[in-house]
Formats: sequence, C-alpha cells, structure tokens
Amino acid sequence: MARRRSPARLVIALSVAAALAIFLVYTALAGGTPSLRPSQVAGHDGRVSVAGKVVGQPSGTARGPEGLRFTIKDVQGTATLPVVYRGSVPDLFKTGRDVSVEGSLQNGVFVADKLVTKCPSKYTNKQS
Amino acid sequence: MDVLAVALGALLAVAAVAFVARPFLAEPDAEDDRLAGRTSAEQERLELLERRDRALGALKELEFDHRTGKIADADYEASVGPLRREAAEAMRALEPLAPPARAPVEKVDARA
Amino acid sequence: MPGLGSAALVVAFGLVAYAAVAGGYAAHRGRRRLLESATNALFASFASVLLAALVLLAALARHDFSFAYVASHTSRELPLGYTLASFWSGQEGSLLLWLLVLTGIGSAAVALNRRLIRTVIPWTVPILGAIASFFALLLVFVASPFATQVAPADGAGMNPSLQNPYMLAHPPLLYLGYVGLTIPFAFAMGALASGRADERWIIATRRWTLASWTFLGFAILLGAKWAYEEVGWGGWYAWDPVENAALMPWLVATAYLHSVMVQEKKNMLRVWNAVLVAGAFCLSLFGTFLTRSGVINSIHSFTQSSIGAWFLGFIAVVAAASTALIIYRLPLLRSRTRLESLVSREAAFLYNNLFLVAFALTVLWGVIYPLVSEAVRGVAVTVGAPYYDFFAVAFGLPLVLLMGIGPLVAWRRASLRAVGRSLLWPAGAALIVGILLLLAGAGSSPAGLVGYTFAAFVLAAIALEFVRGTRARHALGGGSWPAAFTSLVGRNRRRYGGYVVHAAIVLLLVGAVGIGGFGTTQEGKLTQGQSVEVGDYTLTYLGSEQRRAANSQELRARLAVSRGGEDLGTVLAGKNRYFAEQQTSNEVAIRSDWLRAEDLFVIADQFNPDGSVFVKVIVNPLVNLIWLAGLLFVAGALITLWPDAREQRRLARRFDEEGALARA
Repeated sequence: MARRRSPARLVIALSVAAALAIFLVYTALAGGTPSLRPSQVAGHDGRVSVAGKVVGQPSGTARGPEGLRFTIKDVQGTATLPVVYRGSVPDLFKTGRDVSVEGSLQNGVFVADKLVTKCPSKYTNKQS
Repeated sequence: MDVLAVALGALLAVAAVAFVARPFLAEPDAEDDRLAGRTSAEQERLELLERRDRALGALKELEFDHRTGKIADADYEASVGPLRREAAEAMRALEPLAPPARAPVEKVDARA
Repeated sequence: MPGLGSAALVVAFGLVAYAAVAGGYAAHRGRRRLLESATNALFASFASVLLAALVLLAALARHDFSFAYVASHTSRELPLGYTLASFWSGQEGSLLLWLLVLTGIGSAAVALNRRLIRTVIPWTVPILGAIASFFALLLVFVASPFATQVAPADGAGMNPSLQNPYMLAHPPLLYLGYVGLTIPFAFAMGALASGRADERWIIATRRWTLASWTFLGFAILLGAKWAYEEVGWGGWYAWDPVENAALMPWLVATAYLHSVMVQEKKNMLRVWNAVLVAGAFCLSLFGTFLTRSGVINSIHSFTQSSIGAWFLGFIAVVAAASTALIIYRLPLLRSRTRLESLVSREAAFLYNNLFLVAFALTVLWGVIYPLVSEAVRGVAVTVGAPYYDFFAVAFGLPLVLLMGIGPLVAWRRASLRAVGRSLLWPAGAALIVGILLLLAGAGSSPAGLVGYTFAAFVLAAIALEFVRGTRARHALGGGSWPAAFTSLVGRNRRRYGGYVVHAAIVLLLVGAVGIGGFGTTQEGKLTQGQSVEVGDYTLTYLGSEQRRAANSQELRARLAVSRGGEDLGTVLAGKNRYFAEQQTSNEVAIRSDWLRAEDLFVIADQFNPDGSVFVKVIVNPLVNLIWLAGLLFVAGALITLWPDAREQRRLARRFDEEGALARA
C-alpha cells in the first residue's frame, strides 16, 4: 500500500532549488555585460557596451567608408559621446531612440560594430 | 460635453442600476435569502463521490494501458486487485448516505 | 462622443467595484439576492465596456482627431485595417481591450458555470470584479482613451513596424491568452475562499484554461514570425523582455495544465497547483506591466509611463492576497495521498513541473536582473542571448526527454523493467537517427545533435502510442484501421490530443535547433551583375527599383536566386520610407523552400549612390518547421478541447448527484 511518508518531493525540490541557486549566483557574478552610460566611457580601454539616446542628426551611412556617425547622450543627463558604427542598421534606429552600442573607445570616438535599438514603448504617446 | 452623450450616459447608468437591483425588486421580501451552502454530511458524500470516480477512472486507465501493451500482464494483475477494492469500498461507503427527498430540489430549481 | 465613452467607463467602474464589494459580502454572509445582484453587475459591466469600446472604434474609423488617442496613433493615410487595429496599439486602448476581454469571458465563465459550481461561484464573482476594478480604475482616472483635444489636421500615424497584418491578429490573441488565465485563477482562489470546494471546478474550467494557454502559445509564435519577417535580423526569438513577458506565464501555465491532471486523478499536489495558478496569473499581469511601462529600457524611464507604479502595486496586492489565502487554507489543501515512487507518472509530471518552473524563473531573473542591478548597484547590465540559450538547453532537453518517457510510465508505481521495455523501440530509433545525423555532419553543434536525438526518441514514442492504441482498438471493435484510429482518438481526446501537442513542441525544437545551430551567413557589397554565394545558393544583384505606396516610398534591390545551376526566380529586398512618421524600415526578402523547410533570408542594408548595394544573406535551415509546429500545436489543442458527449454525460450525472444534495 502507499508509503505514509515520502520525502521524495522535498528532496527533489531542494536539489533543484540548490542547483538553480548555484546557476543564478554564477551568472549574477560573471554574467551580464556591463552597460555604461556615455558619461562613464572615458577611461575604459577594452570592449564595452554603451546605452544612451540618439541626439542630433546622424550622418554618413553604416556601410559606407566613413561608417554611420551619430551622437548618443546620457538618458538622464547631458554628457554626449560621438559614435561611428559599421554594420546593419536596425529598423527602429532614429533620432530620439534609446540605443545600445558595443565596441571600444578610440581617440575620443566610440567605434561600434553592434547596434541595438531598444523596443520603443509602442504604448506611450508620440511626444515622449 | 454634448447633451446627447450626457443623456445616453445617464440612460446607461439608470439601466445598469435597474439591472443590478433586479433581484431585490423581483423578490422584495424573500423568505429564504440564504445562499446554498453545504452541510458536512453533503460535503462528506461529495468527497466519497469523488473518491469513487477517481478509483473508477484509474481502473479504466489501467485497463487501457494494459490493452495497449504499456503495462505487462504481471503488473496489471498486481494493480487491478487493489484498485477494484478501492472502487468497491468507495461505492459501499456511499450507500448509507442516501440523498435527501426529491421535492426540495424542484422548488430551488424553479427559483434559480 | 468622447463623453459617452468616458461615461460608459465610469459606469463600468462602478459596476465592477460593486460586484467586488457586494459580491464579497454576499459570499461571506451567504446572501443569495445580493450575490445575484453582484453577478448582474458583472454582466452589465461587460455591456458598458463594450459600449466604450464601440465608441473608440467609431472614433478611429471616422478619423476623429479630437480624440487625443486617435490623433496620436493614426493618420489619414493609414489603411483602415491598421486604423482599427490601433485600438490596441496604444496604452489606453490596450487597457480597454484587457477590460473588455476580462468582463466578457469572466461573465461567460460565471454564466455557464453558475448552476454547476454553487460553492465556488459566489467567490469567483467578487474576485473577477476586483481584478476588473483595477483596470477600470486605471481607465477612468489614470489613462483614459477618451481624452480630448483640439483636433489637429492629421494624426501622428502608426509606428511603421506595426503596419503589418500581424498587428491585426497578434495582440488580440495574446490578450485572449493573458486575460484568459484570469479564469482559472479566479475559480481556484474562489474554491480556496469558499473552503468547501470539491474538484469539479477544475473539470469545469479545464477547457477555459486550455483555450487560454493555446491562444497564448499561438500568439507567442505569431509574434515570433512577425519579428522574423518584420524586424528582420535573421532570427526568430531574441529573448527580448517583451517576448519573455509572454513566455513566462505560458511556461507556468504549461506546468499547471500538467499537474492539475495529477490533482484530478490522484488528489495530490493541491497546494502546488494553487501556487502555480496564482503564479501564472501574476506573471501574466507582470508581462502586461513589462510591455506597458517603460521599465524595460531603464529603471529610470519607469516614471515616463504613468501606469507602471500602479501595475506593480496591483501585482504585489494580488501576490500577497493569493499567498495569504493559500496559507489560510493550507489545512484544507494538504492532500492525503503521497507520492509512492520516484518512477511513476506522477513523478514524471512532477519533474516536468520542476523543469518548467525552473526555466520560467531563469527567464524571470534574466528580465529583472538588469533592473535590480541598476537599482541596487547603480550599474546597468544587459542579459543577452547566451544566458537564455544556456538554460533553454539545460532545461529544455530534459523536458523533451520527459515528453517521451512520461506517457510510457504507469501511474503510482512503474517497474524500471517495464519502463525499459516500453522505451526500447523509441530509444533504438533515436540512436539510429543520432548516428545518421552525426555522419551527416550534425556534430558541428553538439547540443543540436543531442536535441535531435531526443526529438527522434519522443516522436518515435508518440508514433508507438498511436500504433499500439489503434491496434488495441481494432482488436476490440474490428472494422477498418482508419475507423479504429478515429475511434481511438475520439474516445481519448485528452490523451491523443496531448500527444499531438507534444509532437508539435518537438517539431518546434527541431526547427529552432536547425536555425540556431546549423545556419550560414554571408555579407558584402554587390555591384550590378555581381554575385554572392551562401550555402548552396547563388544570388546575383540585378538592379534597384522604386515604388510609391499609400503612405510610404519603397526602395528595393532585385536579386536572382539559383541553386546548383537551377534558376529559382528573383527576390526583392530593401527599405520603406514612411512619410508621416519620418522613419525607415527594413523590408527583408524571405524565400521559403518548403521541401527542405529552409529559408533564404536577404537583407538589403544600404543602397549606395553608385548603384551598388550592401546585402546580408542568411540561410536558415528547418525554420519553417517552427511555423508548422504552431499549426500542429493548435490542431492538437483543438482535439483536446473538442466537446466530448460521453464526458459531458458523465459530468452531468455527477452534477445530478450533487444536485440531489441541494438544500431543502
């Protein structure tokens, strides 16, 4: 007949929870690419990712010899950073959008080879 | 704000209130305003009903699994006995708790 | 008519608030007429919200720009379909859609089950009313779709990436899924609140839960197809927070669907199920919150949206209330049956649940970790695809394996020997497939190879189930084999419909692994007449073309496609420039080869003044299996959902027996 007590469930749950906790701690410490603001980029030598808002008018073309040149600014602040990007330009890229670029700082200009636009809130008014 | 909108809005509000108040308007003083609850005897019977249905369902599934070859004959023989006993027990336990007389059911149904 | 719309919403708010308060009091004190009144209020609220919805629709159709909502989301040039679809493209409109669906299906669920679940309905009504009150509150006081302004000459138009037929289908289907999860939640909590629940509410709401889950799953795939075609980066799922927002409740709902079967048959896992259904509902609210507030961009843009804080507060309240109710009713929920063996179908369901919930939690962590990190440490991080892909493989592969093993294991206790014997053929088939694939070069992606082997295992196991079942049915009833097959499925819709759904998921896996692990990419600049080779395709740039559409200027590059010398026609890829919105969108060319289920994906990145074009060409193997899987998924779900006359009769008999217990 049925065993009165079965610790099976508890054991399974605890072991899975433990494994999960280990994974999460691991990823929390080692995972996730640091995403900087334009004001924080100066001084970083290696490859970083920078998030900001596109301001002004972009010039050039991403597939051209000069690359696509634009400026990003701190989302909450005034610090700006000039960016040169070569690669595919995603659909949603335009002035006023929040973007994330990945690359490195070279001679005061951020040279990027990855560009991602954040999904704009389709649900907020056009004005914002 | 245009008058038509206000008038229609008011009409809507009145209709809503009327519909919401309907149960009270239909029966201004109801002798029995109690919401049907369950006595513990009824609850017990219901649980037995469920136990019986679960046992019968398990039997049916066992038969099916056996017929489709998922459960070997030996395992089937081992399991079918206890399951049949369980179902029989549940059905036996239901007999003493016979349902109450039919008449009250009709009265409630007419009102529901 | 904005005044009428606002009035309708105010009336609706009053009605649902009444339904919540009066219904709660009536359920607590056992007042019949008051409960009926509260139920009427719920029904009436649907009518009121419907009126408000019609007002908005009419305003959209008329291009009435005195409605601020109409002005900010449509323009005169916008085709009618998209104009009407902008009902749900904006925040206020989508909240109204939420409320409409909620009051609609809530009323239907209550009306259809009023006589059947007498103890639970009294509590379900106030719970539904309370949830609806939140949305009505937002609509009346915080985000009204009926705000007015001086009508401008033309509206601001719709975001070009939304101008796609998918916009007509994806959001409503998604909402039917999200909102639909409210029904099992409301009934489950109602059952807990009443304290005297039996399990019939599970049977009665089973189809509602299944339908919502199906809508949600299908909507997720539809969204993926939309992203594949419209955003056009070559992939189908980007692990974007907005995508994950819908995935999380779906995963938990899947877990719930499975474990509720165990509760129905074995009267076990009741506490766990209550937690699961509350979790699924909270995640569906959380998903709505993620896509409404600007919180996914950055925690600082949280304040940009007016409703983010409200949503968070509501989720906290729902979570707290559900937890309190579960703890309060813990004695009632504690089951008397225990898990007998770690090798049993109950255990398999439990493992399935653990993996699904673990996966949902890792996705959740991936979504909120950036926000937590920024709030706590001030350092923003991004969680990318590698994190999600790792866990998708880590949890997905065992889940696939369980899909194959689970159905072959008996309830209560299965002998390892019996399980081993059942697994023999499918395991053999899987091994053969694995070796063949390895020889064909699939070893380039080890995870992919393992995935395919498991997929073969599950498909073989499912096929075996159908074969054995049909054979048994044929032995019983004679007749032709097709007749035996249809009779088998007809009599066991839940089981075999479930198998079809499993097969669909496996198909999805095969497609996902194909596109993820075995694709090829090539990019470069092409002058007219120049060719590029990708996989076994050759593309030659023929020239560029321009065309003016209703609200955009279309620029396309025409490329000739050939494979192995055979001419496969031409494809057009390029960009659209939208006038009103001042935006450019990529319009990719997708050439689907249905025989190989693969796609040739062409992105024309840039048109240079010298007539040359910059292209990126991708070959996505097996990607079309993903979309096929979506259709198979719905087919399987339909089989499971189909009304079963025999089951109805059985349930009716049970309800009669209960009805015979009705009060004097």
